[in-house]
Amino acid sequence: MNLYEAGDHAELRILLITGGWEVRRSFNQMGIQPGDRVRVLRRAPFGGPLEIDNQGTHVAVGKQLAEKIRVEVLP
Amino acid sequence: MKVALVGQPNSGKSTLFNAVAGYRSLTSNFAGTTVEYTHGEARVAGEVLELIDLPGLYSLSPTSPVEEVSRDYLLAGDWDVIVNVLDASQLARSLELTLELLDLESPLVVCLNMMDEAARKGMTIDTRALEIALGVPVVEAIAARGRGIIETFRTAQDVASGGGRPHAFVYAPEAEGILEHLAEKIAESTLECGGSTPPMKKAQRERGVELLPQSKAPEESGVEPPHSKVLRTSPCAAGHCSSACCGHAPEVKGRPSPRVSASVAVLPVLAPAISSTDLQAVGAHSPLTHHQSQIAAFPPPRFRALQLVQSEPRQTPKVKGAEDAGLQSPDPGPSFVEWAQAEIVVRTGQPADAAISSARHAACLTLFERVAHVARPRADWREQVDRLAMHPVWGYAVLMGVFLGFFRLIFDVGKLGEDRILNLFDALVAALAQHMNAQGAAFAAAKGAVLGTAGAVAIVLPYLLPFLVGLAILEDIGYLSRVGYLMDAAMHRLGLHGTATLPILVGYGCSVPAVMATRILSTRRDRFIAAFLAVLVPCSARMTVIFALVGFYLGANYALGIYALNILVVAVAGHLLALIWPEISPGMLMEVPAYRVPAPRVVALKTWWRLREFVLMAFPLLVVGSVVLSLVDFYGWQHGINAALSPLTALLGLPRSVGLTLIFGVLRKELSLLMLMQALGTTHVLGVMTAAQILIFTLFVTFYLPCMATLASMMRELGWRLTLAASTALLAIAVVISLAARGLMLLL
Repeated sequence: MNLYEAGDHAELRILLITGGWEVRRSFNQMGIQPGDRVRVLRRAPFGGPLEIDNQGTHVAVGKQLAEKIRVEVLP
Repeated sequence: MKVALVGQPNSGKSTLFNAVAGYRSLTSNFAGTTVEYTHGEARVAGEVLELIDLPGLYSLSPTSPVEEVSRDYLLAGDWDVIVNVLDASQLARSLELTLELLDLESPLVVCLNMMDEAARKGMTIDTRALEIALGVPVVEAIAARGRGIIETFRTAQDVASGGGRPHAFVYAPEAEGILEHLAEKIAESTLECGGSTPPMKKAQRERGVELLPQSKAPEESGVEPPHSKVLRTSPCAAGHCSSACCGHAPEVKGRPSPRVSASVAVLPVLAPAISSTDLQAVGAHSPLTHHQSQIAAFPPPRFRALQLVQSEPRQTPKVKGAEDAGLQSPDPGPSFVEWAQAEIVVRTGQPADAAISSARHAACLTLFERVAHVARPRADWREQVDRLAMHPVWGYAVLMGVFLGFFRLIFDVGKLGEDRILNLFDALVAALAQHMNAQGAAFAAAKGAVLGTAGAVAIVLPYLLPFLVGLAILEDIGYLSRVGYLMDAAMHRLGLHGTATLPILVGYGCSVPAVMATRILSTRRDRFIAAFLAVLVPCSARMTVIFALVGFYLGANYALGIYALNILVVAVAGHLLALIWPEISPGMLMEVPAYRVPAPRVVALKTWWRLREFVLMAFPLLVVGSVVLSLVDFYGWQHGINAALSPLTALLGLPRSVGLTLIFGVLRKELSLLMLMQALGTTHVLGVMTAAQILIFTLFVTFYLPCMATLASMMRELGWRLTLAASTALLAIAVVISLAARGLMLLL
């Protein structure tokens, strides 16, 4: 499951960031890495970005990028 | 003593800077770039500190030109101590930059800012434990309330003058051996530098010698290391040069451009060229470093090894730009960096950059858990605000409300001021007429200069200034990030991301700072499209034309109709551009900062930076344009110009006499109105032109070429090819729209 498909407000864990060097670098800049626990706070309509909470930092992630993050739902 | 303030965006770095350096601060461009930084002086404990406030930086692996320049500045080493400002409420993430700064093994102070915000989030931070873990002093601060600021700078003084250098933080044990090996290789080539002929291409060697006359290693020649002046005057040593200047810069910086991928491969060959710069940098960096270790290079070899292994893996043997930079070695052979990257992949099962950054990330989290305790956060009203402001339906209603109110307010404020200012200057012209020969060319020129100044002032003070202040406030509150979030989907239709909303919004004020604001975008393509659309949007000068002509003679609804039509044209143009130049940038990834009360000083400075672009670039052009215009009128040259433009005016069905107006609209947009009245010889335009002609004229003026000042800034930011392409496209759009309007009106 990728981040964009994940339900709102669920506790998620990032498993893998697919995508190339540039994508990894962008996520690294925002402090988002595999292993992080994140939560989708809300999503903008019309295929807009998600707002996620990563340890208190709120980050807007565009659809294309969110689809590059593989996540699992934490119990 | 030079203090560099480094921090992630929204860390309150500028608040700290402004609290001590305040309005005596200056903005300057980084050498050879248009990116600005602020610097100023502050007296702390009897010593004058030179403070440099670098643009916000998430990490030392930049993704935008602004970040790249900040990073380059840091790596040039032209400072004595770094003050790393952190948002304590975002400690875990903020520490990532701190760990990277520790890799520089240079005097460093950590300022834990926004401690109040952290407390609100239920965080308690053991500062002492953090200090021990990092090995550098940590000072708590609430810069917005003036707390901890002096302590921060005092500590910085102590660290710079007395203490030793911190040690790099080892966070990736699996990679450490490889890094060490690579660092050794880099250090070795540094030592070899002064001695035998380095094994590099002849062209490079010659260029290196030519450009670096001081390249003799200081410890070998027995002279004192060059003073820091060398660093400031030598473009190479300052680290700003591109490969066009000398071959070594990209290697030093590990720049993530395609050019680097090629240069990385030839690092062992070029390494000696790096070293000479580094040795200068060491001397310049600080006397302390020099005394401690004669050969300590800056940036340290381990740091450079880190940057190199994190650089983009080489994909193709030949990369565009490599040849002309002279970086392609005749036989690259097995590269050391490639070996290191491959080895890290083998050991960690991840690409080298991911291995390093995830290890650093993990180290930050561990560190965070050790020094911080998070209790239940206090209920935060700001969450409730976001529920509304970022709501999929109500969010857009709020957005509309905010911007309609915003523009309404500016228009009302502007109207109040404009007339008074214009009257004032009219009186000045009348006074001039009494003291000068009203028939002479000198009077014509003087009148042009006064009216030019009047036009500029009447735009800047009443419209642009409130616009920029309002925008800076919205930005500082944190609302513009929400706008970016809400508008991302719509901006995708224009081939852009939500991040590009800011330049386009600034475009409603003045195109010049709008073009400058495109720098925050990461790719050249995004910058071009954003600049093009920002220029297409009617600036405040064009707004005065729209409202004074169409608004006045045809009614406010027509004026608003032009704005609506403009939005439509922006949408279509963006869509077409996105088709012509398909998207390659990865998408929006933007921090959504917590709402904050804007700091008046930061708002004032931000406004000033943007206004400055107008004052410095547009103002002189406006005045000169106006003088030329007056002289053209005086010598009666307008007939020739009107004749030359008659095909266009005839095509649009406009009076022949407005031809000159169109030419000079390029010099000064808002002058189109004044000129029109001058050309027609009346202030009652409707008596000479039909309503349809007024509409067509205004449409044409709204869309056609941007003013000279905007063209000049586009040239700086985008280069002349793209500027030319954009201008041609704008002219075509204006003609098509005006013709369509004419056809439509003929039909009706």
